[in-house]
Amino acid sequence: MLNLIKKEIALCMHPTAFIFLFLAVLVFVPNYPYEVIFFFSCLSVFFCCMMTRENGDIAFSCALPVKKEHIPLAKMLVVFGLQGIILLLVGIIGAVKGAVLPAEQYVNQAGISANLALVGNGAVLLGVFNLIFFPRYFKSPDKIGVPFVIGAVAVFLLIGIFIVLRWATPLYSVTLNGLNSVNTGAKAAALIIGVVIYIILSAISCKLSMRHFQRYDA
Amino acid sequence: MNALEVKGLTKVYPEFTLDKVSFCVPKGHISGLIGRNGAGKSTTIKGILRLIATEGDVAVFGRDIIKDERVVKQMIGYVGGGFRYYPMNTLAAIRKAYSPFYPTWNQGKYEKLLVQFDLSERKKVKELSEGMKVKFALALALSHGAKLLIMDEPTSGLDPLSREEFCDIILQLVREEGVSVLFSTHITSDLMRISDDIVYISQGKILVACPLKELLDKYKLAHFSSLADATASKAIGVKAVKEGYEGLLPRDTQISTNVAVTDTTIDHIIVHLERANEEERYAEFN
Repeated sequence: MLNLIKKEIALCMHPTAFIFLFLAVLVFVPNYPYEVIFFFSCLSVFFCCMMTRENGDIAFSCALPVKKEHIPLAKMLVVFGLQGIILLLVGIIGAVKGAVLPAEQYVNQAGISANLALVGNGAVLLGVFNLIFFPRYFKSPDKIGVPFVIGAVAVFLLIGIFIVLRWATPLYSVTLNGLNSVNTGAKAAALIIGVVIYIILSAISCKLSMRHFQRYDA
Repeated sequence: MNALEVKGLTKVYPEFTLDKVSFCVPKGHISGLIGRNGAGKSTTIKGILRLIATEGDVAVFGRDIIKDERVVKQMIGYVGGGFRYYPMNTLAAIRKAYSPFYPTWNQGKYEKLLVQFDLSERKKVKELSEGMKVKFALALALSHGAKLLIMDEPTSGLDPLSREEFCDIILQLVREEGVSVLFSTHITSDLMRISDDIVYISQGKILVACPLKELLDKYKLAHFSSLADATASKAIGVKAVKEGYEGLLPRDTQISTNVAVTDTTIDHIIVHLERANEEERYAEFN
């Protein structure tokens, strides 16, 4: 598995997979729907899948001495790693923003503030994307467009829901909004719930993808 | 012991069926997989390597590929038509990603092969000619001590000198290292030169799987002056040629004195058996 992961990183990663990680600094942009940052992570997955197809990587990998079902698993583990990094970066840079900017500039008019609850929201978004995209993609890795469009539409719908919640519910507009130092327990709980949802959805996605890929003809 | 045993390999596509393909490659033998375009050669090889989902059993040196996929694939060196992967990457980058999968990887042997094949690791795959791509794929396959080489039309796109060189390498591997080989090809002159056995596939079914000599001894090529003579002799797959008609006859057939007979080649056997097959299908259809 480790060798497959190394091969993925060496031969299948599109530069955007790493470049888009830096978009975590968008949390410094005032009045911006920060959940969109996580969509860029989804977009980099799309580019990596394109690269996989153009390189004939699936056929190459299937001929290697590995179990066939480990091929999708390795690809997904690399993506999960990148998603973990973007979640971490958004959390850290959001905290830095809270520490260096005045409290009034921390308020976000376009959505929730860049705090722990945002990271929880991001985890849910990425988990939903993983569940929708990967099982469809691994049914036929030559066809990337339709699974990505379905995944992207779901992600943007969810972003819309989070923005509506920010304005329509006291939980999101007050309790989970603002600096991490305020209502820290609630924000930490939102983060943990988001991460748990991410883990569950991603695990289901792995299982389904591995099952679908067994039937794929390289 | 057989290096490769294929039993009942079946794959059903909407317009093509690989139908219970069974054959074996004895240890230390070179087996040629032949058949016309679309006959099922590549599907058979992909099925053996589990690149596609198939029914049936595949065993390499007695080990089932489904039960011991990782171990079995370490014993196999696979060479597709050419190296069609990662066109933008250098050979060095690909080798670095590829070699850790094989505990038996021999870097010294790999470097020796690169020199022998005149390949530079600094080059990108897209910069290689078709022949060079085959050689690179061969260098990767040979450097991990594969016991069984499976090659899908490795000599297609190679010039005659490179093909000769390729055949020499394969013969050397079999003689010195006891490697077993299964390779599909259209170029039957390569088979005549190096293969021990022939597996002939047509319309997804195995028509012949036997030693090459046995196949060549099985038939003779008869030349007839008229179609009536050919029909009377019950020749197989009769076709018109420049001067009369040609067809295959079983070696032990008694023939009249006005029929000229010569030895067959693999080409003759394929052409006439395919023609006989087509006639049979046409008769069934009507």
